[in-house]
Amino acid sequence: MSSTLRILRGFAGATILISILLLFINFIVGFMITVPQGSLSSAGLVKTVANKLEGSNGAYSLDTQAEKLLKHNHLWAMLINNTGQVSWSYALPAEIPKTYSLTEVAKFSRSFLMDYPVFVWEHPDGLVVIGYPKDSYGKYYLSYPSDFIASIPFILVGLLIGNILLALLFSMLLGGRLIAPLRSLVNGIHALAHEQTVHIKPKGILSELAESLNHASDILKAKNEALKTRDEARFNWIAGISHDIRTPLSMVLGYASDLEENPNLSQEQRKQAAIIRQQGVKLRELVKDLNLVSMLEYEMQPLVNKPMRLAPIVRQVASDFLNNGLDEKYNIQLDIGDEAITVNGDEKLLTRALTNLVQNSITHNPQGCEIHIQIPQGNTDQSLCSIIVFDNGQGIPQDQLSNLMELPYSDKRKHHRSNGHGLGIPIVTRIVKAHGGQLELFSDIEEGLTAIIYLPKNIGTT
Amino acid sequence: MTDLKNKKILIVDDEPDLRQMIENFLRKEGYFRIYLAGNCAEAIELCHSVKPDIAILDVMLPDEDGFSLLGRIRQFSIMPVLFLSARGEDEDRLIGLGLGADDYVVKPFLPRELTLRLTAILKRVYAPARRESLPIFDLINCTIDLESATVYKNGKEQPLTAKEHALLLKLYESKNRIITSDALCQAIWGDDAYGYENTLMVHIRRIREKIEANPSQPQSLLTVRGLGYKLIVKG
Repeated sequence: MSSTLRILRGFAGATILISILLLFINFIVGFMITVPQGSLSSAGLVKTVANKLEGSNGAYSLDTQAEKLLKHNHLWAMLINNTGQVSWSYALPAEIPKTYSLTEVAKFSRSFLMDYPVFVWEHPDGLVVIGYPKDSYGKYYLSYPSDFIASIPFILVGLLIGNILLALLFSMLLGGRLIAPLRSLVNGIHALAHEQTVHIKPKGILSELAESLNHASDILKAKNEALKTRDEARFNWIAGISHDIRTPLSMVLGYASDLEENPNLSQEQRKQAAIIRQQGVKLRELVKDLNLVSMLEYEMQPLVNKPMRLAPIVRQVASDFLNNGLDEKYNIQLDIGDEAITVNGDEKLLTRALTNLVQNSITHNPQGCEIHIQIPQGNTDQSLCSIIVFDNGQGIPQDQLSNLMELPYSDKRKHHRSNGHGLGIPIVTRIVKAHGGQLELFSDIEEGLTAIIYLPKNIGTT
Repeated sequence: MTDLKNKKILIVDDEPDLRQMIENFLRKEGYFRIYLAGNCAEAIELCHSVKPDIAILDVMLPDEDGFSLLGRIRQFSIMPVLFLSARGEDEDRLIGLGLGADDYVVKPFLPRELTLRLTAILKRVYAPARRESLPIFDLINCTIDLESATVYKNGKEQPLTAKEHALLLKLYESKNRIITSDALCQAIWGDDAYGYENTLMVHIRRIREKIEANPSQPQSLLTVRGLGYKLIVKG
């Protein structure tokens, strides 16, 4: 909507600009046309002749240049003295009278003398008259009241404004008509950006564009569907493999733990059976993690979201580690700045994410370390809250941080994991992402690892 | 208890080796009336002919899935059912329990997990008449009888209030382990227990007065700073 409005505004602006420009051009061109080209104007000519006519009392001579001018323009000229007699003439046609009464002079000076357009100018000895060939000039005299003349500038300005308004109106009407089909296109493009299916009826001048847009929408839809099918295939493949591993692994675990408890076996043999069982359990965890990560990756994991406070799960995770016999070289510290912070989340998955972060710190710092879990009081972004897990352990090189979040053996993960199966942090990343949040990692060698989980706050229930 | 071992158990799984293994473990545990089926048709037939007391069903079977098998069994039998699944997705779990399954074990499992759960179901279904009595246990300075809600300290008896009793029961359930104050509040005041921490502390103090030799220096009901509490139980 706003984009069509912008287009309309731009269109109207351009129209007004063009109108003003046209007005200017008209003024300039009009001015150039009204100024007579080449020779002098009739008024100028008669003035020249009057000035160049020298002499007195019947003996007059015209300057040769002025004479040339007359000749060139096929004009005739005469001087009427104060008694009404023609005292000098040039190329005077025969039918022109030689004497004039005051009435006659007044008459022809305003219009024609025997159909000859004439122009007059005063001379020390009378009146100089110049005659043009018949039908070569039209003579009109206009008269206006003087206050009308005075208001001309205002009228012009008014006219200008009126024109601009009119131009605006026309441009709006025209633009509106042009934009009507454009609007559906614009809406279509917006819909396309939101991955909705677009179908615009192709009509008007933009029908080709509409067809292209429909085509693009179809292609996008087909691609999305293909992508979805492929994701589903991959997901099913991983689910299938993990399924197929589970049954044989059940038997490995079953018989190994059976042997482990068999009193007929030697201590050594039972120890070996225990190792088989322990490794089987590890394999079981790996299969579970693989399944979880694949479900999160392909968005097949159903989230059981409900409003929940963060502080209890932080305490629960810390307690679980302590209850499960955390080695004394590790020390877990809690720092809960805000008890009330609530998110809308899946408790099991968020607990899992936190557990993975703490476990990561433990796994990568076999020499022991301090692990802090923080819920900071406030955040720069009011709509977000965060959980920070950091340790003072050996850290990892900065350039490998982004690697940690990628799945092991994927193209994006360049370095291979040093210990653990490498799914821990990728699972955290995906859990946080599934909650509409973000995981950030900070570390460097000997500087510990800091992980910050940003989650959207649950607004409304606080 | 011995009569539970008489119960007829039906195992339905398409993997013969796995069926065999489960049978072995159950026999070791003392169960001896065990019937095996490899698919739904066999399972239904056995259900009719031997009328088992409990069934262990695999979710993935060659002819039908375990959930629809359960549906068919339910038409004529209300015997308890334990699902065995190699899928392990939570959704499966919900479907399984929603259909009226009694429990759900995800492959791969340790034999002990399966036999424990099976026995628990059998106990619950076939020996429910006798209510489990609440525990009596010794702390460093006293003995607590939750059944009668009494504390015996220095030859004196002291009754427990309802809240104190509930707290001690919860603490005893995770004896010698940390239990968060959130979990305690939730157990006593329900899901919306935020804000009860101070009330909890008051109750804890009253319990200490009853069970500790010196309530300000507790030896049995310990505070784990920032997390919760821990009940140290002897033996």
